[in-house]
Amino acid sequence: MNNSQNPIDKLLHDMRERAKELNCLYQVEELLTRTNLPLSEIFTQLLQVIPGGYQFPNICQVRIVHEDHTYQSPGFTPSTRVQRVDIKEEEKVIGFIEVSYTRDVPQTENSYFLKDEQKLLQTIAERIGRTVLHFKLEQVSREWETAQKDLSDKIKKEWMVVIDLLRRTDQNLYIHLGRKMVYHLFWNGVMEAKELLKSLSKDQGAAQTEMSDDMNRPSQKKSQLELLELSDKTFRIAARYLSDSDILGRIQKWIQEDKASFLSRAINNIDMPLVDVINAITHYHYISGGTYELSPPMEKGLRVSLIRRFFSDQLDFINIAKNHIEVRHFYDLVQRIIYPANGYGRLGGKSAGLFLAQKILTKPGDHSEVLCELKFPKTWYITTDAILNFLSYNNLEEVNEQKYKEIDQIRLEYHNVVQLLKNAHFPIEIIKGLSMALDDLGNKPLIVRSSSLLEDRMGMAFSGKYKSLFLANQGTKQERLDALTDAIAEVYASIFGPDPIEYRAERGLLDFHEEMGIMIQEVVGQKVGDYYLPAFAGVAFSNNEFRWSPRIKREDGLARLVPGLGTRAVDRVSDDYPILISPGIPNLRVNVTADETMRYSPRRIDVINLKTCSFESMEITALLTECGSQYPGIENIVSVYEDDHIYSPSALGLDFSKANLFVTFEGWISRTPFVKQLQCMLKTLQEKMSTPVDIEFAHDGRQLYLLQCRPQSSTAGNVASLIPKDIAEDRIIFTANRYISNGKLPDITHIVYVDPENYSLLERSEQMIEVGQAVGKLNKLLPKRRFILMGPGRWGSRGDIKLGVPVTYSDFNNTAALIEIARKKGNYVPELSFGTHFFQDLVESSIRYLPLYPDDPGIIFNERFLLDAQNYFPDILPESAALADTIRVIEVPRAASGRVLRVLMNADLGEALGFLATPDSQASAERERVEVSETASDDHWGWRLRMAERIAGQLDPGRFGVKAMYVFGSTKNATAGPGSDIDLLIHFQGSERQKQELVLWLEGWSLCLAEINYSRTGYKSGGLLDYHLLTDEDIAKKTSFAVKIDAATNAARPLALKSQ
Amino acid sequence: MADKSFNAFKMAQQQFDGVAEQLGLDPGTRDLLRNPLREYHFSIPVKMDDGTVKVFQGFRVQHNDSRGPCKGGIRFHPQETIDTVKALATWMTWKCAVVDIPLGGGKGGVICDPHNLSMREQEQICRGWVRQVVRNVGPLQDVPAPDVMTNAQHMIWMMDEYEKLTGAKYPGFITGKPVGMGGSLGRTEATGFGVIYTLREALSELGIEIKNTSAAFQGFGNVSQYAVRLYQEYGGKAVCVSCWDQKDNKSYTFIKKSGIDLDELLGITDKFGGIDKAKAKGLGYEVADAEAWIGQDVDILVPAALENQINAETVQKISAKMKVVAEGANGPTTPEADEVFKKKNIFVIPDFLANAGGVTCSYFEQVQCNMNYFWTKEEVLSKLDNVMTAAFHAVYGLAKQKKAFMRDAAYMIAVARVAEACRLRGWV
Repeated sequence: MNNSQNPIDKLLHDMRERAKELNCLYQVEELLTRTNLPLSEIFTQLLQVIPGGYQFPNICQVRIVHEDHTYQSPGFTPSTRVQRVDIKEEEKVIGFIEVSYTRDVPQTENSYFLKDEQKLLQTIAERIGRTVLHFKLEQVSREWETAQKDLSDKIKKEWMVVIDLLRRTDQNLYIHLGRKMVYHLFWNGVMEAKELLKSLSKDQGAAQTEMSDDMNRPSQKKSQLELLELSDKTFRIAARYLSDSDILGRIQKWIQEDKASFLSRAINNIDMPLVDVINAITHYHYISGGTYELSPPMEKGLRVSLIRRFFSDQLDFINIAKNHIEVRHFYDLVQRIIYPANGYGRLGGKSAGLFLAQKILTKPGDHSEVLCELKFPKTWYITTDAILNFLSYNNLEEVNEQKYKEIDQIRLEYHNVVQLLKNAHFPIEIIKGLSMALDDLGNKPLIVRSSSLLEDRMGMAFSGKYKSLFLANQGTKQERLDALTDAIAEVYASIFGPDPIEYRAERGLLDFHEEMGIMIQEVVGQKVGDYYLPAFAGVAFSNNEFRWSPRIKREDGLARLVPGLGTRAVDRVSDDYPILISPGIPNLRVNVTADETMRYSPRRIDVINLKTCSFESMEITALLTECGSQYPGIENIVSVYEDDHIYSPSALGLDFSKANLFVTFEGWISRTPFVKQLQCMLKTLQEKMSTPVDIEFAHDGRQLYLLQCRPQSSTAGNVASLIPKDIAEDRIIFTANRYISNGKLPDITHIVYVDPENYSLLERSEQMIEVGQAVGKLNKLLPKRRFILMGPGRWGSRGDIKLGVPVTYSDFNNTAALIEIARKKGNYVPELSFGTHFFQDLVESSIRYLPLYPDDPGIIFNERFLLDAQNYFPDILPESAALADTIRVIEVPRAASGRVLRVLMNADLGEALGFLATPDSQASAERERVEVSETASDDHWGWRLRMAERIAGQLDPGRFGVKAMYVFGSTKNATAGPGSDIDLLIHFQGSERQKQELVLWLEGWSLCLAEINYSRTGYKSGGLLDYHLLTDEDIAKKTSFAVKIDAATNAARPLALKSQ
Repeated sequence: MADKSFNAFKMAQQQFDGVAEQLGLDPGTRDLLRNPLREYHFSIPVKMDDGTVKVFQGFRVQHNDSRGPCKGGIRFHPQETIDTVKALATWMTWKCAVVDIPLGGGKGGVICDPHNLSMREQEQICRGWVRQVVRNVGPLQDVPAPDVMTNAQHMIWMMDEYEKLTGAKYPGFITGKPVGMGGSLGRTEATGFGVIYTLREALSELGIEIKNTSAAFQGFGNVSQYAVRLYQEYGGKAVCVSCWDQKDNKSYTFIKKSGIDLDELLGITDKFGGIDKAKAKGLGYEVADAEAWIGQDVDILVPAALENQINAETVQKISAKMKVVAEGANGPTTPEADEVFKKKNIFVIPDFLANAGGVTCSYFEQVQCNMNYFWTKEEVLSKLDNVMTAAFHAVYGLAKQKKAFMRDAAYMIAVARVAEACRLRGWV
């Protein structure tokens, strides 16, 4: 063909050629379907048919090579003008077909063959491959028929039939099994197997000596035939040494394992998208018929790979998980995973924790009987990379840079980010997945939880930093889907929230590549009136860090129970209490008297309102009055109070409108296996996960559900402190070794020490009451959480007050720790209170409790320091100076040349140490961390102090009649948190008009600063200044705040006013 | 050191010595009444939940039973001492005598902290306690009752053990049981109503029409609520109550000068006894400081909350028009404040007379149990009225006759009655 031909001619020519090809293909097809012919005959006939499809049939010759046979056109001569295509049977090359011209022909596009001819040969090769397979399968099926016949005729032993069949139909597998068998025999000490192996290695050995000077040359490959013979020999030996059933069992197992090899390939290939891994798992589940008979090493290998692929590559996690999560468990898991197309993501930390816990607890063991009723809520997962996919789908990748902005800008923009994400669209495969999830979960309310990669890191307290949202999940499918996607977007947005970002920045985790998975869980519970809620829920810890009795051991654990949704148990709620129990010793209650029981009983309940589709918190009494009779197991939750007596409801039931009901959980604790289940769960999880755990659970009145599980060590504030051993004895204030919980008070500046000896010498109870009142006043004057109270016996003693200073919670709610000192009296050591009267208040506000036994052997109690240091008490509270012998206030830095008191508590060692230490700024950040809601860094007070100085610097003393201005409180003491006020004292001497002007001027500052503080920290307030105007008279008389000016300790700091 | 420190029993003896001196009792009677008649100390072995055995120290003190079986509570307290129990038993003798009920004084206890005990262990302590003193207690000898950290449940266990050991039903062995299990109706009202019965009599003696009076109440517990109710039924005007606010960790006074509406306040009170401040303001109440109640311009003060509320400092705030103090709480007035009252000629109905409605109702419980026939609430309350009225007049008569302060007169009459019984029995 040359280029001078006109286009029409070329077209006609092309069409003619095409017709030839089609004709050829038709004939090939005709031939290949004639299954009555043997393969060799088909091949021979093909040689005649194929040239007809080519441009130059007369000089065209064909050669087909199939396995060991070659078929070629008569007079075949090798040629360079050749076109060759491999023949494949299930991806395996089993031969080739080639077409060549015996002499030269014109070339088109640098080829002797047309493009369509190339395609033609390709098609023919494919068809041949399929035909060969068809023949083979047909043969196999025939073989099977004979094999089955053999079996039924009992001519051969079962395994021999199988082996025989394999040898004929799948030689590779046969050889594979032979190899396995020879090793197996060898391991079992069969001499002949040893010989066989030796002969094998002898050949190799000979080869090796031969090529000892050429190590890089490959060893000679054994031919297929030799290998077959080797297998034959092996099975003959096996027949002599092993029982028939043993051989059959092994063959079955090895065949089964061979089937799993594709699974292992899929999982171990890190480039394989998740969808393929999931398909492989599903496929394997089907072909194995759900039996999963894998050899232990293979099972283990697959487990580890799967765990790494789906959950975490943290070795700590894998080490534990591989013992409990089995390959077969993944089949169920992958049915509920939603993932982006071609995604590679994992499921995130929360999902991993719960999945592992579920597998541990459902695995048969000692715990099985107790936990047979334990349930897990139905959960769907979205992989962690879906968020990236979501962002890129909506062109929102720039949001990822959010974390590197200034914190106030992040805060400012956060609301926009939330809206942006909520208005973005999810990729279709995610929507499809969510739609399936909704169909599966039905219209039960849902909780959308974050499950991020950071949450997965052991030892990270990332809980509560990201959002979890409840959904009522009511309405039409579309409405439910919209609400769900909306919630997911909002949870996604929380990654870009200022608080988590600030938290990450502080911990050097900003550069961590954070991705967020999502768990969509059904909410455990049922309908009660218009509400949906579990009967009760809560959190539990393997280690009890707040023990209210010396009889409670740390390992007895701690549970916080609340009726309704568990949100109130997870978070500390300032005005409400959960019911605390120690599952190891559940009958030892925190609250014993009717008064205590009522005071510390939960008052409010969190529910999902199905009518308004919202999450609500309501009075328990209101809920019970409205629909108490529908509340499942309510008689196990509440007790009735009548005539100073609290008792469980009678069999006649409850009258919700009349009865005085209090939540006590008495029934659940004492009449059901619930506590036993809880304890068993904690113990089992702790043992198997080799770490104390922290779990969330819910109970629907019939069954207990586990909702979440993670290592307890990751909970902030309760970290065991390292106790240094090299502190010089003169720097130690006290040591303790009984009933120690975990904790750290890094920088205590003041000690209030009620001298046990002198307190016991007080003669009148009024004096003791006065001591209590004085402590209450000190509590308001000393820097919050920077002072500790140390005193004799039982703080807050209500009965015999000589046993301990009579105080209530409000008298010490600002202290960092409450320390009780039990001094020996004769041979009698008084029992301490363990803060029982206000135990729950201590827990909720993170005030540490520490009992000291100074007279125990080996205990250091530096009484000299406490008694010799200058006592500032009379200066602080001159009106109570008479009690100065009993109450001592020590300003630690002054008494110890700038040092502070550091208290370290370690429950693991059962040791605590209070010593004088150099203050460090790191410590102050840690201290603030412990507090519930007040986070602080040096910046908060620094900024406040600068602002206070600026206000003073701008204040015109002449205009406003101001003599002096002071700053005090947290701003002065460097303890200010993001929500702190700036406390100012203003010595005012002006007129009423000046006063009005001054107040107006200060209010302006106050509002401005509040606004700035909000953008810095997210804390809203109506004003940031807390100022007090003092007159000359106030100062002379030292009334109220005037006492702060020129105070002996913790005095207010004067500020420079605008110079005139 | 020990002898210098605060000792409740020593205080009780000193108090007695003072009264004995005023009464001119002979040395023998003084010796007898200064000390308890009998003290039982015993060990209570308890098999704990963990299988170990712990031995608890138990006490029962019978101070004096010349007027009838001893009566007094059982305390569970970790720092219990025999001196405390002896002091409290002595006070019980006087308390029963002042209202002239035929009972003596007793008290008991176990050194233990219920915070460290399961309910089963507490039950074993209760039963063990009864087993150790079963021969020395009983409806006709000594009748226990609930006290610090014990309640109706403990009483039922004790009663059950006593009945098991004696082989018969003796609901009168113990008081403080729930209604239906041998408890008496009217107990909730008893103390508060008792305060007002004595107040009513006091006003009538002082020639003051109760309808024309106004009163300030401290507290909003059982005592205060029922006192306010009865007082208002009699036509008095209660202008304030105070109550603890758990959220703020402090008390507030709720004032309405025109007179508070009890039911209205109860309607905005949670079951923990806290009044909703915002709603109260909405209803026209002034919400003032904890101490505001004491300074109200009223005729009567009813402290019905805590000890030491009227002291040297707060007593200065009382209104010039204030005439009567009815002590609903235990020990609300300090000696310094008492001096001020004496000086200002303010009439005081002392605590152990004014709030004896409680012990009187316990006595009624015992009586009803012993005859196994139970009265209606009206019957209980009308009998209570009789007892309280008679008691008041006896004390008042003596105070007038001896020109003594009411508190002293109450003690004198109590001690005199016990001394007389001992004399008649020929003990002294």
